[in-house]
Amino acid sequence: MIAIWKRELRSYFCSPIAYVFMGVVLFLFGMYYWQVVLMGSSYYIGQVYGVMFTWCMLFLPALTMKTFSEDRKNKTDQALITAPVSVTGIVWGKFLSAFSIYLFTMLITLIPAFVIGLFSDPSWASVFGNFLASLLYGAAIIAIGVFISSLTESQIVALVGTVGTSILLMLIDSLGAVFGNEIIETVVSWISFQARYTPFTNGIFNVSSVVFFLSVVAVFNFITARRLESRRWS
Amino acid sequence: MIEVKNLTKRYGSNVALDHVSFSVEEGTILGFLGPNGAGKSTTMNIITGYLSASEGEVTVAGHSVLEEPTEVKKLIGYLPEIPPLYMDMTVKEYLDFMYELKKVTIPKEKHIKEICNLVKITDVYKRLIGNLSKGYKQRVGIAQALLGNPPVLILDEPTVGLDPKQIIEIRNLIKNLGRNHTVVLSSHILPEVQAVCERILVINKGVIVADGTPDKLSHDLSSDHRLIARIEGDEHEVLQNLRSVKNVIELHSFGEKEPGVFEYSIEGAPGKDLRRDLFACCTRCGMPLLALKSSDLSLEDVFLRLTSDTYVPRSVQRPAVIASGDEFHVEKGGDEA
Repeated sequence: MIAIWKRELRSYFCSPIAYVFMGVVLFLFGMYYWQVVLMGSSYYIGQVYGVMFTWCMLFLPALTMKTFSEDRKNKTDQALITAPVSVTGIVWGKFLSAFSIYLFTMLITLIPAFVIGLFSDPSWASVFGNFLASLLYGAAIIAIGVFISSLTESQIVALVGTVGTSILLMLIDSLGAVFGNEIIETVVSWISFQARYTPFTNGIFNVSSVVFFLSVVAVFNFITARRLESRRWS
Repeated sequence: MIEVKNLTKRYGSNVALDHVSFSVEEGTILGFLGPNGAGKSTTMNIITGYLSASEGEVTVAGHSVLEEPTEVKKLIGYLPEIPPLYMDMTVKEYLDFMYELKKVTIPKEKHIKEICNLVKITDVYKRLIGNLSKGYKQRVGIAQALLGNPPVLILDEPTVGLDPKQIIEIRNLIKNLGRNHTVVLSSHILPEVQAVCERILVINKGVIVADGTPDKLSHDLSSDHRLIARIEGDEHEVLQNLRSVKNVIELHSFGEKEPGVFEYSIEGAPGKDLRRDLFACCTRCGMPLLALKSSDLSLEDVFLRLTSDTYVPRSVQRPAVIASGDEFHVEKGGDEA
């Protein structure tokens, strides 16, 4: 698993993917930070992370699109699958490498808060709440993206499929409201990333939401592994 | 070392492998021979655990591929048909990665250096794999299979894309490896299998059609009573005379090979030695017999016969046609002296 994690991480930095992803995400973060916190003289950093939720949901699929589809296309999956490592190890290695890039990007977003912390006393609960929430939904969408990548040989299909899923997950709240049915709305609020994410931005630590996001990661990594297994039988 | 029992692989209604069984002793080099699409790669993919069988089982050194895949994978070095190389890595980085992935315990620096020397990739060690020529990529693929010194090597068409000099080098390398490894290699190039393998398995349309040493195969399939003779004199006359020889059941001419000298194929009834009668006939009729040899089929012919659609096992097949009149039919090439 560690060997795969290292190799994938290397390949992110050998290609422009990591740089473009980090560059774009950090640029957008910087822009909103400047607009909301600096220009507005606001301490409400949750608003900045709130906008980044949308952007990250859209950009994260770029990190996951190649994870399995590229291997399958170049037949390098033969080396991975015939090596004495478990399929689960392969999946987690790939997942963690994409997550590492995201984690690194998000760590950089903490720098402005620390700089401000030198001169005043920001609401740390809110800052870390936002940071943690970003990591959680990010991990969930990465796991979903890795799974979608394992379904296809084409990176484009994986990208579009994952972006589509992201958009669906973001729209699901308003879709639920359309029906006006209480049961549907309740079910939708279970699935909704947004509903799980928002409490964190106010500095509220919700264990059930943490469990929810981690479960999404575990479930999707599990079915990705099953998907790789099943390919042997087809 | 490798035990394959009743292996069947179906892709939908298409049967890629049909109840294939064989076993490979420790320390042998087994050649897997067959036309494209015969099921060679499928068999290898199943042995290495990349694919699963629809039926049947594979054990390597007593471990079942299905039940203990990790144990089996540790024992096998595999070079797939398309070497699984990451184009964005240098040879060094790639071998380091595979070393870690395979959890090799032999001291790293020395081990990788030895392998690089063995397959001669030391001079491209620091280069990006994507920029290497096909021959070098193939060799990096072989190097990868050798990592960890696995007791079983499975090489799917190992010499594809190499130049003649490299082919000879790789063949020698495989021969050397065969001394302390069990090697299974596939190929559709006959001289290769003939040169390297101690045992050949011919597979066609998912079924094993022959199994044995190269010599045995070519002996079994060739008719042991067919002679090739060069006789001076008029073709019609010679044929006329030869027909009078006892026990000749098939006769035809290959045409003029030297000025005034024709080559003939003479087949006798099973178990009958024609040479003395033939010699007697030639002296009697005053036809100088310039050359005489028994025709053993080359492996090439064996292969074509085994994999042709019309192939019927030898016990069933019996050519009953006796060349009649002045009609000569020339057999397809390969028998020319």
